[in-house]
Amino acid sequence: MSDRLPAWMKGSDPYEPKGRGGTFAARTLRALAGAIGRLRFQQGREGRRPLPALFKLVLLLAGLLVLSLARKLMVPLFFTALVLVLICFLPGRDLLSVLVTGLFAAALSLVLMLPAMILAPETAFNCLFLVWKVFLSVLMVSLFNHTTQWNHITGALKRLHVPGILIFTLDLTLKYIVLLGRLVSDLLTAYLLRAVGKDRQACSSLGGVLGVTFLRGTEVSRETYEAMVCRGFTDDYGGL
Amino acid sequence: MPLIELDRVTYTYPEGDRPVLRDLSLSLEGGGCLILRGDNGSGKTTLFRVLNGLAFPEKGTYRFDGETIDRAYLSDSRRARAFHKRIGYLFQNPDTMLFNGRVFDEAAFGPRQMGLPEEEVRARTEDCLKLFGIADLSDKAPYHLSGGQKKRVALAAVLTLNPDVLILDEPLAGLDKKGRDLLTDFLVSWREAGKTLIAATHEESLADLLAGRVLTLT
Repeated sequence: MSDRLPAWMKGSDPYEPKGRGGTFAARTLRALAGAIGRLRFQQGREGRRPLPALFKLVLLLAGLLVLSLARKLMVPLFFTALVLVLICFLPGRDLLSVLVTGLFAAALSLVLMLPAMILAPETAFNCLFLVWKVFLSVLMVSLFNHTTQWNHITGALKRLHVPGILIFTLDLTLKYIVLLGRLVSDLLTAYLLRAVGKDRQACSSLGGVLGVTFLRGTEVSRETYEAMVCRGFTDDYGGL
Repeated sequence: MPLIELDRVTYTYPEGDRPVLRDLSLSLEGGGCLILRGDNGSGKTTLFRVLNGLAFPEKGTYRFDGETIDRAYLSDSRRARAFHKRIGYLFQNPDTMLFNGRVFDEAAFGPRQMGLPEEEVRARTEDCLKLFGIADLSDKAPYHLSGGQKKRVALAAVLTLNPDVLILDEPLAGLDKKGRDLLTDFLVSWREAGKTLIAATHEESLADLLAGRVLTLT
């Protein structure tokens, strides 16, 4: 019966890979797996006795408002002390993630402010003050995100009478980022397992991965809509 | 010397709180056949990820053909590619394996990677497409095929690499009768040719037909 197999398949290929290759897919895969893991992690991790999400959300919004309106140094100083104390209670990996997010936002706003600081040096203090506020605001939001489950956040938003369509869109977005992220991760894994040589068409293969992800995203959104219609959705977002 | 050897392997997912695999030991000679059984979530797919070098045991060792497969070993891209060439892995969901625009290019991807001459690439690809009765689909886009056709294309794409070990995760799931017959015949031929096979399946008939060792994960 083994005659069904082609002759080349019955033996083993002496194969020695040449040059370097496959590293781009491996690196992308690791980065993607980390990002999806963090997203899932943020959805699930809370302390043993967490503060109610509504309370935290109101505090956060009030804090952001006070911080953005503040004109005296004392206010950002107070918030800096508070936030630094709070992030000390986070596990190491979360602490790093919160700090990196805040520093990235601060660096970006500093770059945006640079022309103003160079052209009008007298505004330098105000510009740096603004960068500091951005750093603190992003740190606070990131801290809230890392210590509150996503379903608790949407529950709190509902109690604050935020429109259902917004909450629904946020929910679906987060869910499908994770879903499509997993799909990309699987496709890259399949690519990695079969990319056993020097891929002269790496760009085309990775383009294929993105194309399939786009098609799958479209299909998933259509299926979600159809599932909603089957459960009585009538294009009226007010009832959500 | 066994081709595949796991020695007291334990693996826990980063977000998990208990091990999916705990102190698992097994050895399989070249040309052997191992059938994996177990409920959903018992760790079959995780074991396949370990065997493919996609996940690394937190405790214990995994040796393939005498080499310990760990992060350090696979960090050398040349060794990693030689290792991946020797193991063919069919995912449970073939949808996530197909990323080329045409069925032919999907199946030809592996041999082209190996740098084989184009005539040999064509011959291997056509052989594999014929083997699974999908030669007429060679110009079609894999994305638009049915689930069963996708599975056959994915298997053809894995086989054109001519791996020494074939790892199949639920190979018969989602196949119609014709597809099941083709695949079952192929697996019997693969066994008769003395090549190594590891498969997770709930199908008693397939397990009996292949007459391999059965490992039940709990």
